[in-house]
Amino acid sequence: MNDWLEAAERALAAAEADEAEAVIHAERSGLARFAASQIHQPTLVDNAVVRLRVVRDGHIGAAATNRLSQEALAELARRAAEAADSARPDPGFPGLAPAAPTPEIEGYDEETASLSPEGLASLARGALDESGDLGLYGYATAGTTALAVASTSGQRAEQRATDSTVLVLAADHGASGYAEATGWRVGELDAAAVAREAVAKALRTRDPGELEPAPYRAVLEPYAVAELLDYFAFDAFNGLGLVEERSYAAGKIGERVFDEQVTLVDDPLDPRGLPRALDFEGTPARRVPLVEAGVLRGAVWDRATAARAGRESTGHAGPPEFRMYGAVPSSLSLTPGDASADELAEVVGDGIHVTRLHYLGIVDPREGILTGMTRDGTFRIRDGRRAEPLPNLRFTVAVPELLGEVPALGRELALVNGSDFYGERIARAALVPALATARFNVTGIGGGPGL
Amino acid sequence: MRALCAEALDAAVAGGAAYADARALSRRDQVVATRNGEVLTVNDQESEGIGVRVLVDGGWGFACDRRLTEEGAREAASRACAFARAAGGGRRRLAPVEAQSAEYGTPMRVDPFAISVGDKVGLCLGAEEGMRRDGVIVTSATLRAFRERKLLATTDGVEADQERVECGGGIQAIAATDGVVQTRSYPAGFGGWSGQAGWELVEGFAFERESARVGEEAVALTRAPVCPAGRTTVVLDADQMVAQLHESVGHPIELDRILGTEAAYAGTSFLSQADLGSLQYGSELMNVTADATLAGGLGSFAVDDEGSPARREAIVEAGVLRRFLSSRELGGGGSMRADSWNRMPLVRMTNLSLEPGEGSVEELLADVDEGVYLETNKSWSIDDKRLNFQFGTEAAWEIKGGKRGRLHRDATYTGITPPFWASLDGLAGPEHWVVIGATNCGKGQPGQVAHVSHGASPGRFRDVEVGVHA
Repeated sequence: MNDWLEAAERALAAAEADEAEAVIHAERSGLARFAASQIHQPTLVDNAVVRLRVVRDGHIGAAATNRLSQEALAELARRAAEAADSARPDPGFPGLAPAAPTPEIEGYDEETASLSPEGLASLARGALDESGDLGLYGYATAGTTALAVASTSGQRAEQRATDSTVLVLAADHGASGYAEATGWRVGELDAAAVAREAVAKALRTRDPGELEPAPYRAVLEPYAVAELLDYFAFDAFNGLGLVEERSYAAGKIGERVFDEQVTLVDDPLDPRGLPRALDFEGTPARRVPLVEAGVLRGAVWDRATAARAGRESTGHAGPPEFRMYGAVPSSLSLTPGDASADELAEVVGDGIHVTRLHYLGIVDPREGILTGMTRDGTFRIRDGRRAEPLPNLRFTVAVPELLGEVPALGRELALVNGSDFYGERIARAALVPALATARFNVTGIGGGPGL
Repeated sequence: MRALCAEALDAAVAGGAAYADARALSRRDQVVATRNGEVLTVNDQESEGIGVRVLVDGGWGFACDRRLTEEGAREAASRACAFARAAGGGRRRLAPVEAQSAEYGTPMRVDPFAISVGDKVGLCLGAEEGMRRDGVIVTSATLRAFRERKLLATTDGVEADQERVECGGGIQAIAATDGVVQTRSYPAGFGGWSGQAGWELVEGFAFERESARVGEEAVALTRAPVCPAGRTTVVLDADQMVAQLHESVGHPIELDRILGTEAAYAGTSFLSQADLGSLQYGSELMNVTADATLAGGLGSFAVDDEGSPARREAIVEAGVLRRFLSSRELGGGGSMRADSWNRMPLVRMTNLSLEPGEGSVEELLADVDEGVYLETNKSWSIDDKRLNFQFGTEAAWEIKGGKRGRLHRDATYTGITPPFWASLDGLAGPEHWVVIGATNCGKGQPGQVAHVSHGASPGRFRDVEVGVHA
């Protein structure tokens, strides 16, 4: 990829402002999407976006472009200045991020960065060759991103990162199973193993039994745990929701609200995840404790929300156009327990097993209530063992209740992809174990497994 | 841009493509957002590039380049061909289209970009001021303006030069009383409504008139009782009707979902191809139309992103399923749309509308002894086959003896798609029918967001399960 820091410096030099910050986010990626065991939507993306935020006499404006010529950068500077001059002064502006070293992290792999279209197709075929009698649906993707920041406050920082995911749904009209693997080294992904896991899961889902809506004890696989935490964290561990006193965590910091086995951090520096050194304001990323032994400890912050709360940014600012949503955790990590998969089922005894969730909705952010469906591997647990398959289940859960009694956590951690790659490629993933909960509230029944 | 598309098509054919389409695109997206009396975002984003889709040895390939240059166009075409070959080919064919040259421009009176950012900020802050009162802890307002010029060329002789302009916005108040936090929005949550229109659309929202009511209702909701649970009659306002239509009709009728293409992510559909012409989707009041010619609709155009002309088609007639949304590869066409220059086109909704019935909202309510009138979508979720859904709304008004009564909060309702639509027994008339546009319809991997509109009027459903609690 190019020298993005140098390009950010050029954008900064074009600014006509008292203060300015230039941020470049570049992507080169490929995604081989497959359905019915054939690659049908192979997509290559190459883009770079430069964002310029300027401060002129206390007025702030921002503009962005993906044209990087000198002429385009001058035009960008003019639009940013025009936006600032049209805005009203922002007395709460905390200033640009000061110059600060970013942490030394891993997260870039040359093999992943240089993966060719042929290599990506080959990765996908590694999964497709394991389809057996089922159709495989999903994708193999690999991408390189760069984030470079230059500002008049003296900050100069750049991170290059790679990410890759193989995601497989194995299905026919009566069965479906799901598996995925994510990492920043494509060479560590075993596409065939992912497919075999999905196929094996699918083959156990035929002829689902019945279930009455009611609260059940349950085992949630890492795929389900990651998505549940991701939706809950969007509000609960978001500094904006805290400072505006409307999120679940507002007024509860320091209180024990979850089972004492629950310890959750947002750790962008963990090499087992998708490491991130800085945010879109140039602030170095930090590890942030969110829950310690069931006690709420904090949230993540960008500069504006942190200033309102009298705190420091934790390096969790997103692109300016998303800042209205506040700062959002990007690297959730739930501390594992010591239970094997069989032991989790034993702890549950009589309940259900959930592989994956679908289409979650936030019903009440203040109470942490979410709804959604299970899919692609929902089973009854009887006598401490996984039993017959079940149809897709609608659940409506208060996450604090679900995490309020956690009899056991799995000992194996899985890195679960959290990005659907909308817009610019901002890779994110959660590092989580499976868990057992005493309360998973099933409120309705959907269709059976399969297509 | 015309020359670049031609360059890309030449390169694609030279690279072995039996078919190719090239889209050169330039867009500008401006967002002004305020929160609690301060300017949160004044952002002005432009993006341009070219995307080339090729069919090589019967298999698709797609690549793109942000450079609108001959080199960028050729390289995108070449990479698309290489990826198609690597992906392994197939037996994909396209239904034919007539060669044509088309032009399109959004009908509008006032260019949204002609309104200064300062005036937009002033409008937002004025609306916020109107919402502010004791008990309101957050006020916010958002306005957006969007322009996109797109040149499409295909190897089968379609060329289209289209410019679309959109704008929209919304306001929101969040109130808190004794730990109860409630949200009230206008004209809708999640950034409000958008349309393919000039600034006259936003002026029509009349935020200065509505803001006080929004603030008052936010506070009132914090003191209102929770919506009672049980089976009852519900009347959905147009905003919630649109959400219901989008999720339980719009997505299930996408033929790519029916055939499994979206199975791993967005899901499939409870429908099958054999259901055409026979499946009773809902009651006889249910008439659904897909119309890419609808005035003001975000999904209106001259030709779609693979060269099929815009059309208006009946999807459901008197409750019976008549047609799917489709593509040329799937034997039809007219619904293929891409998020931007850097994504492949997918089968997407254009403007999908529930045609109006007759009479007023008051007449709908008059035939309800006990029920609830649900206003303004707040949450949504539906299963992968689009059968089991659950929605929440910001406000729920008790209906007693045919009249609207007390306000309730935290309303949810749930159901299964065909029986729910079968319970539709009243639909307000054309004077209550509005076109509502949303810019957050997600689908595809890598993810794509579509801008789609829906026309709808309030409707009445019997025996609905209301009040799903954790």
